Amino acid sequence: MIKLNPKLSQKFSYTLLCFATILAITPVILMVFIIIKNGASAISWEFLSSMPKDGMSVGGILPALLGTLLIVLCAIMVTLPVGVCAAIYLNEYAKNNMLTRIIKLAIVNLAGVPSVVYGLFGLGIFVMFLKLGVSIIAGALTLSIMELPVIITTARSSLDSVPYSFREASLSLGVSRWQTIRHVVLPNAIPGILTGTILSIARISGETAPILFTAAAFYVPHLPHSIFDQVMALPYHLYIISTQIPNMPKNIIYGTALVLLMMVLTMSCIAIFARIYFRKRRKW
Amino acid sequence: MVDKIKIENLSCYYNKKCVLEFLNLNVVKNEILGVIGPANSGKTTFLRTLNRMNDFDATYSKKGSVYLDDDDILDIDVETLRRRVGMLFAMPIPLPMSIYDNITYAPKRLGFVTKKIDLDNMVESVLRNVSLWDEVKDRLCVSAVKMSGGQQQRLCIARVLAINPEVILFDEPCSGLDPISTAKIEELMIGLKEKYTIVLVTNNVKQASRVSDRTAFFLMGKLIEVDKTGKLFVSPKKKETEDYITGRFG
Repeated sequence: MIKLNPKLSQKFSYTLLCFATILAITPVILMVFIIIKNGASAISWEFLSSMPKDGMSVGGILPALLGTLLIVLCAIMVTLPVGVCAAIYLNEYAKNNMLTRIIKLAIVNLAGVPSVVYGLFGLGIFVMFLKLGVSIIAGALTLSIMELPVIITTARSSLDSVPYSFREASLSLGVSRWQTIRHVVLPNAIPGILTGTILSIARISGETAPILFTAAAFYVPHLPHSIFDQVMALPYHLYIISTQIPNMPKNIIYGTALVLLMMVLTMSCIAIFARIYFRKRRKW
Repeated sequence: MVDKIKIENLSCYYNKKCVLEFLNLNVVKNEILGVIGPANSGKTTFLRTLNRMNDFDATYSKKGSVYLDDDDILDIDVETLRRRVGMLFAMPIPLPMSIYDNITYAPKRLGFVTKKIDLDNMVESVLRNVSLWDEVKDRLCVSAVKMSGGQQQRLCIARVLAINPEVILFDEPCSGLDPISTAKIEELMIGLKEKYTIVLVTNNVKQASRVSDRTAFFLMGKLIEVDKTGKLFVSPKKKETEDYITGRFG
């Protein structure tokens, strides 16, 4: 072993750690900077609210923006109730036996499945087997299945963070288990569930692979009429205009990226502020 | 002398390890039964068996029977049982809501008081019962977590009184409290036995001698001795009891 002088080794590790941190945040800052620099000029109300024209090289991104919002909204409407109910069952009711442990392990592992696998699964089940076709609903269901493990995990940890003594106090008064969950556990777990949900929304709005085969269209000349329509979606639209269409004006590509980035960042910021707000309001 | 609770041949286990062995004991109506004994003597297990709070522990099992007014507690619906046999924990556990809501919480859920005016009256009367009304009447909407420890514990008693139980189980209710709050709670318990039957588990031998009518001494999961408090403390029959109450234990 080489023995370093303590002062020197302290300096060395400090530099190393500092360097690693800078290395970690530089790409993020650089990326945001470049996207803003190149895309800011494209952003206008018109860009957000008009249809693309002339083979998408002029005009706005309204159908893609609307498509993404619709898909995400439908996905959350499915995944949130199912996920929270499953989390309540697993955390509050399920007995701690082999089966429950396997289910919990499976949920954790499901969160690690690559998103393109979910996309192919959605294609097989929703688009072909259930004959929903390539549509908002098929894409939303695919995304919701992908997000379910994440929602269940965050909801479970929020439920878990409510002290067990509250449940005991309530149960000892003769209040039933469900009423205890409904009136004591859930109100105190909702802040955590809410922030988890917002982060999930942010995550799935940028997903491309799951909607690639299930919901997204190359180009749709009109806005969607129902949830059984194909739509354009922001991440997929970004992929198309940056790789499939020649001579695409640069600022439109970066502008689209900027809109997507802002959508996700805003969602994350809301989640952070919600967490701060609820933490301050917490009574225990 | 009517027996409110009768315990017959009760043995309790955690993971098959016996923590309470072959217990036969009765609790007389409107008495305070003190239960003393060192740690790990099965006092809390005994208490939590009476209102089936141990049911949530998957490792727990029991043999033998407990009767409340001659009904086996297993035959009583568990929510009804807990309503009839209220419980106080060692640490005060106010629910994270206002003082008012803490008291009205259970009656509302159980559905036996619903009108606003009845709720208001009930809150006032139970808070007067625990002599907390004058201290908190102006801040009923304040979170109960903001109260002092002693006030919280009295609020918890008020909360139990609000569900109108027949028996109240106290699990070392003063272990975290200062002497003045302790005195208040002891005074309260003595007042409460007019209407309720009380089982008081305590680590504080003096507390048992001050408050309880009869005292039971548990050691290593066995009931060593139970007698009138005056008798047990003055002339215990068993040597272990004498050693414990005189502090010559171990």
